[in-house]
Amino acid sequence: MDLVPTQNTDLSLTAYDPRQVNVLLQQLAQVDAALGQTIPKRRLTGGAVGIEVSAEQLLDVARLLRDALGFEMMTCVSGVDMIDHLESVYHFRSLRNNWLLQARVKLPAENPRVASLVSLYPSANWLERETYDLFGIVYEGHPDLRRILLDDDFFGHPLLKSFRPTPLTVHDRATTQSSAMQAVAGEQQRNIETITHKHLGQGNEERLHPGKLTFGSAAVFKQTGQGVEPVPEDALNALPEPETLTTDNTEAGPPKEQRG
Amino acid sequence: MATEVQPGYEVGPAGFRSEEMILNMGPQHPSTHGVLRLVLVLDGETVVQCTPVIGYLHRGMEKIFENRPYMAGPRYIDNADYLSPMLNECCYAGAVEQLMGIEPPRRAQYIRVLVGELERIASHLVAIGTYGLDLGAFTPVLWCFRDREQILDMFESLSGHRFTHNYMRVGGVLYDFPKGWLEQCEKFLDKFEKTSIPELEELLTGNEIFEARTQGVGYIDPQQALAYALTGPVARASGVPFDVRVNRPYGAYREIPVNIKLRQDGDCFARYKVRMDEMGESVRLCRTVLDKLPGGPISVRSPIALRPPRGETYFSVESARGEESLYMISDGSEYPYRAKLRAPSFVNLQVLPELLRGHKIGDVIAILGSIDIVLGDVDR
Repeated sequence: MDLVPTQNTDLSLTAYDPRQVNVLLQQLAQVDAALGQTIPKRRLTGGAVGIEVSAEQLLDVARLLRDALGFEMMTCVSGVDMIDHLESVYHFRSLRNNWLLQARVKLPAENPRVASLVSLYPSANWLERETYDLFGIVYEGHPDLRRILLDDDFFGHPLLKSFRPTPLTVHDRATTQSSAMQAVAGEQQRNIETITHKHLGQGNEERLHPGKLTFGSAAVFKQTGQGVEPVPEDALNALPEPETLTTDNTEAGPPKEQRG
Repeated sequence: MATEVQPGYEVGPAGFRSEEMILNMGPQHPSTHGVLRLVLVLDGETVVQCTPVIGYLHRGMEKIFENRPYMAGPRYIDNADYLSPMLNECCYAGAVEQLMGIEPPRRAQYIRVLVGELERIASHLVAIGTYGLDLGAFTPVLWCFRDREQILDMFESLSGHRFTHNYMRVGGVLYDFPKGWLEQCEKFLDKFEKTSIPELEELLTGNEIFEARTQGVGYIDPQQALAYALTGPVARASGVPFDVRVNRPYGAYREIPVNIKLRQDGDCFARYKVRMDEMGESVRLCRTVLDKLPGGPISVRSPIALRPPRGETYFSVESARGEESLYMISDGSEYPYRAKLRAPSFVNLQVLPELLRGHKIGDVIAILGSIDIVLGDVDR
């Protein structure tokens, strides 16, 4: 993407001074004035200042931070799972004033969505993708929100506290190239012609006979109900007997009573 | 597969253009310095588009931190940036100390600076040596690894391990120097400064082929460096005066001032040169530590089961590749509630597609090598 030009071309170094924090706390009044409300501010260890922003205001606040207060760098995006809610935490740095600012956005645990900052800070691109990958936070307006560290058909978001690992054999692992740029797997590859099936032993067994748990997956599924498509108990019983179980001493055809 | 015509893209005189080719570079390719996959769209030899694919070395390090006590953290963070484990450990130990509000003894802080700067030399030696290898010079890598081996030997006699040192502890360091270690270190520094750095300068800096391959290649604008949050030698070669040791001094850097090494050119040669200059600066810092090394204990007494108070902290150190930070949250238990590792290589690698666009495919290797990523740090 193209860079957004900024006016600050003067790059100079300021020696670190703990009193800079007080200046920053005063300067943050600009953000308060622009938003028309007082945002919570507090001092953190290590000479940082923490603010708390709502998800709707994040884009406005970030624009103010960049243009009015001179935070040139966004160094870090972290997700935090607080069990009753999720958090997206941003760290901004200002080189000219030697400031470090931490902005926290609280998001609901169900369907967490927040505006993406890629348009303001290009460095947010991979950092937000990573947080989406590991926490499932959706960054709206992100140009390319895909998994980055994990496999495309990974199930779940592993840094959530509720995450439980599932055995690899439960899912079909075939991966295909949808375009030259992107390898897809799982649901995405259903309508693509060039699927190459791989022989994966128990994985194929699981796919061909859904509900029949393979080695190792049963314990996890019974404990957590995660990892495979949840099949209700009665539906499991209603499944017809698989043909592979038919042995020689069970004769094919209708029962003897009806035959007679 | 034909992609869209990029703006500024050359169309031949008769309106024809050559068919684009897609080249998959990596993940098993010696010049990607690890398991990095680059999907390149090529027009002839010119790169039209590049898509890095990462994650082959993802070990879930942040999840591991959450499931191990604070004591076990340094051992796992060793593997993040496996070319500079000491600096990673400094980051972890410093973050937990900041969380607990304790300060290690003065001697421990000086030891951290000493081993950290030695590790920076070792890491830059790998960067420069393999960079020469990428560009066709075979001798530098042998000489660099020869010198690096001496540093690793010193670390082995100090901590017991060559690579994953597991040397830092919350509140200090694990062992004091063995007998004769400081003399060995001094001897190494003398030899390294007097012979090794000038040798490398002769081999690479004045080398015509090396200059032709690196000068004016892969230019990073200072504004671009800021926007992409580049740190470390990559940013300093573009004139961005950011060095955590200078901007936010931690530990003994509050007493030992660091001269920031800046270049304004922003090309691959400047990034190489910043690393060379930083090695000289690291030697000076090591000498300063050896002169001023205070006595006293090397560690505070801390319980085996560390329970930092509830709270959060963001602690940064200057790793060999840039700002390495830990955002750590404690819920008062023995295990970190959340430990987010801000890896410098991960953030620095983002700028690669921007840099490669319009360059020849031979320059791909030159540019990638100059960013100096470690895939263990990218994927964590």
